[in-house]
Amino acid sequence: MELKNLISTSETVDVFKDGKMAIKLFKEGCPKTMALYEALTHSRVEATGLRVPVIHEVSVIKNRWAIHMDLIEGKTLADVMKDDPANMEKYVDQMVDIQIEIHSKSVPKLSKLKDKLIRQINLLDTVDDAVKYELLTRLDSMPKHTKLCHGNFMPENIIMNDEGVYVVDWVAARQGNASADVGRTYLLLSLKNPEMAEMYLNKFCEKTNTSKKYVQDWLPIVAAFQLTENNPAEKDLLMKWVNVVAYE
Amino acid sequence: MEKKQKAAPANTGLVDNVDALIAKMAQVREAQRIFATYTQEQVDKIFYEAAMAANQQRIPLAKMAVEETGMGVVEDKVIKNHYAAEYIYNKYKNEKTCGVIERDDAFGVTKIAEPIGVVAAVIPTTNPTSTAIFKTLISLKTRNGIIISPHPRAKKSTIAAAKVVLDAAVKAGAPENIIAWIDVPSLELTNEVMASADIILATGGPGMVKAAYSSGKPAVGVGAGNTPAIIDDTADIKLAVNSIIHSKTFDNGMICASEQSVIVLDKVYEAAKKEFAYRGCYFLNPEETEKVRKTIIINGALNAKIVGQKAHTIAELAGVKVPENTKILIGEVESVELEEEFAHEKLSPVLAMYRAKDFDDAVAKAERLIADGGYGHTSSLYCNPVTERAKIDRMGQAMKTCRILVNTPSSQGGIGDLYNFKLAPSLTLGCGSWGGNSVSENVGCKHLINIKTVAERRENMLWFRAPEKVYFKKGCMPVALDELGTIMGKKRAFIVTDTFLYKNGYVKPIEVKLDEMGIEHTCFFEVAPDPTLGCATKGAEAMRAFEPDVIIALGGGSAMDAGKIMWVLYEHPDVNFQDMAMDFMDIRKRIYTFPEMGKKAYFVAIPTSSGTGSEVTPFAIITDENTGVKWPLADYQLLPNMAIVDTDNMMNQPKGLTSASGIDVLTHALEAYVSVMASDYTDGFALKAMKSVMDYLPAAYEKGAADPEARQKMADAACMAGMAFANAFLGLNHSMAHKLGAFHHIPHGVANALILTNVMKYNASEVPTKMGTFPQYQYPHTLARYAEAGRFCGISGKTDEEVLEKFCAKIEELKATVGIPNSIQAWGIDEKVFLETLDEMVEQAFNDQCTGANPRYPLMSEIKELYLKSYYGK
Repeated sequence: MELKNLISTSETVDVFKDGKMAIKLFKEGCPKTMALYEALTHSRVEATGLRVPVIHEVSVIKNRWAIHMDLIEGKTLADVMKDDPANMEKYVDQMVDIQIEIHSKSVPKLSKLKDKLIRQINLLDTVDDAVKYELLTRLDSMPKHTKLCHGNFMPENIIMNDEGVYVVDWVAARQGNASADVGRTYLLLSLKNPEMAEMYLNKFCEKTNTSKKYVQDWLPIVAAFQLTENNPAEKDLLMKWVNVVAYE
Repeated sequence: MEKKQKAAPANTGLVDNVDALIAKMAQVREAQRIFATYTQEQVDKIFYEAAMAANQQRIPLAKMAVEETGMGVVEDKVIKNHYAAEYIYNKYKNEKTCGVIERDDAFGVTKIAEPIGVVAAVIPTTNPTSTAIFKTLISLKTRNGIIISPHPRAKKSTIAAAKVVLDAAVKAGAPENIIAWIDVPSLELTNEVMASADIILATGGPGMVKAAYSSGKPAVGVGAGNTPAIIDDTADIKLAVNSIIHSKTFDNGMICASEQSVIVLDKVYEAAKKEFAYRGCYFLNPEETEKVRKTIIINGALNAKIVGQKAHTIAELAGVKVPENTKILIGEVESVELEEEFAHEKLSPVLAMYRAKDFDDAVAKAERLIADGGYGHTSSLYCNPVTERAKIDRMGQAMKTCRILVNTPSSQGGIGDLYNFKLAPSLTLGCGSWGGNSVSENVGCKHLINIKTVAERRENMLWFRAPEKVYFKKGCMPVALDELGTIMGKKRAFIVTDTFLYKNGYVKPIEVKLDEMGIEHTCFFEVAPDPTLGCATKGAEAMRAFEPDVIIALGGGSAMDAGKIMWVLYEHPDVNFQDMAMDFMDIRKRIYTFPEMGKKAYFVAIPTSSGTGSEVTPFAIITDENTGVKWPLADYQLLPNMAIVDTDNMMNQPKGLTSASGIDVLTHALEAYVSVMASDYTDGFALKAMKSVMDYLPAAYEKGAADPEARQKMADAACMAGMAFANAFLGLNHSMAHKLGAFHHIPHGVANALILTNVMKYNASEVPTKMGTFPQYQYPHTLARYAEAGRFCGISGKTDEEVLEKFCAKIEELKATVGIPNSIQAWGIDEKVFLETLDEMVEQAFNDQCTGANPRYPLMSEIKELYLKSYYGK
């Protein structure tokens, strides 16, 4: 099989277009667990009835693991926002609605978001033990929910076409506390566009009748998690978010 | 000893993993097992030496804490350490915490203090040494082991403090390992400590407190503070402002009770501001306020970098220039909502200042600030304490905080014993359910002991209550009535009776006597059998119009009961019958307090039949004719003041009344005699009454007025039985008879008679399903009691069973003699009707007020069986 039409590329994968299919080709050296785990996670999300691309095959193409799924063509919400900034509020509104719908699903066999966060915090080498202790204590005290969380819910992962709205890239999906997922989105947005991040958070809190404080309580944790990306440009902001204390 | 060696493995060194922790816990447990056997003297010596050692090390420990955490002020931490050692020692030095701590022989209560076991102590970074000293000292005083989970940021100093106390304690004789700690703290180990200890003293952030409460072990945790301080316009401004500065700067604002906001009334706002500024506080301008805002709070959480720092350092972080020696940064802000960063807890010398229109506005602002994050902790008010009691009360009511401090710096005030000497000294301040705590006061020794209560069996105080005057003997009435005029000087008498007695001249002798004494009188003679509330109300109205100072009730039970009710309505027109009739388990513990009687009128009862004994009882029954509900009232307030038992009033009772009321008297006496509340005092009356009935009822029945002696004996028997059951109460026989009367209109005395011997045999069981509950009633002994009664009445037999058998036979014989049939059916109650009403009668009889004193606690199925037996005459 000859793959020519490269759509996108990242550290770990190249995505090709092949007719009506998108083929996610893992880079050589990537462990097979990576591909299989993603395919499994994604397949479990498919079962929720959410509008997501369907996986048809997992294969090995020239020593590289590959996931074959529906190619969703259309504009990402990020593109739409960029083209029509005047209607930003409407798009943020739409984005929040989609996320709320995702949170309404439950996928009992999915891994737990909390486990992943604990693992990542323990791996951090940029903060000292006292800070880790506080982060883990904070995380341990958070309400334990089992809502479907996308894990990377951003306008870039929302594709719109004539058939409707699709959400893609489910590799980080877990079950957990929706506010952690919202905190993560808020953080990712804040790194790019703080104004939009505020608008997003306010909209979410308003629509779900959640107190802002409840989402904010997750921010040191999601910031610590993001620190594992080791992006120097993000470090100052993330460290500031991490370095807070609860009362004593 | 062998066990001890097994349970305590060799010292494994550092506690840095779960296995090491489990091993350490075992050592602490073993140490505590030994410590638990120590005497108060041993413990007090250890407590003394440990407190002394901690006190001696207060300066090195304070230095170490500041050095390690980079927070706070050495000199202030010295005070905290000093306080934790000295004030705690002083408070508890004489407190009994071991073994018997209280004994009351009269009530048979002994309280014994036992240690709880192993305390898990979570120690915060803000007070790493003083809290460690505090918690280890109170654990030692209460013979508990303690294992400390320090915060990683302050572990060295916390462990050092614990070690000082441990070493001194062991030197003074405490078991090794009675105090231990985690050397390398982690969440996993903290959770393990909390899960395996017996109680948790958690001081820490909300996460830690939550973990403590989720561990499944009882936890004494503390919550967040967000103390608002109101400065009223009556406050001493200098005292207020300087108290707040003193408190807020203490250890750079790290005490959780410390003021976070000051709310100043408009009238004195400028004066307060001037004083703050004069004393070295810095007022931020709007631009600087904004900078500080963004520095102190990040995403709604407190910036770790400002905690316990000097005002100057925090200003520098925010890019604001202030003098080096600035005491507090003050932001003048308006919003009390969480969106305002200054409204948060700041754990640093940064203060929000609000202007309040008036006191109401100030209180509203304070309430909101507490809701923002200080539920259950502390609030503070400055005002004139002499003239403004109302404001202090208002504050006390409005604040959802467990400490409301008045004219007191809250850091030093909240921890107790410094500015108020009844507030217990403590470094762990309970925040009540508002703060998610089990304790709402300052935590101390009492929270670390289990108190066992040894409660020995005691008997109730009993009583004998009767009218102050009981006059008897044929012809005694005019003599007795004489007192009303000559001694008591009564002026107006109200006579209550029934139409029959009135028309037949029974009232005449009374009226003659009253006229003779010049006492005005009137007579209400409309009482009918089963008197109604309507009748009583009417009588009471007449009373209100006539305004008597003495009421004379003449008649059978109906007239006397109606008279008592009218008396109640006359003295207390607003009483509620439903409340007065509420059933009770113990007449002394009843929920309703009966109104006091006798303020308006003296009550004289004169029976004309020998039956109910109402002249000497605290009972009355009244029927609400609108609903058909019978209200049985019982209270010693209803006891007549004078009873006049004059046989002249009873000579011409009809035969039916003589027999029915005669058997009623027998039932009263028998039930009072076997009641769980029977006493030697009531026994005499009961025995004499029942014997008189057995001996004289046939003659009274047969001969009537022709045998005045029999009449006299029956009259006295009725009254004596009345006094017996007025104090010992009745039993199941009456409960069941009441329902036979209500459902089938069987005269009360006859209803009693129809079931009497069946109930006696039932009560006499040596193996009852359940016995009555009363401390005096020690074991089922009713058979013996009936036998005693039988023997007193002249029955003999070899065994109690035989006497009972013969006694019942004799009673049946008596019944036959006085014309009472041997079954309910024979009385003429239709079988179908009886069976239809049976279940309802059973339930109501079970629930009757009389059932409680019965020696055998009846099951409903048993009552049903008794009804059926009595119906068919088995």
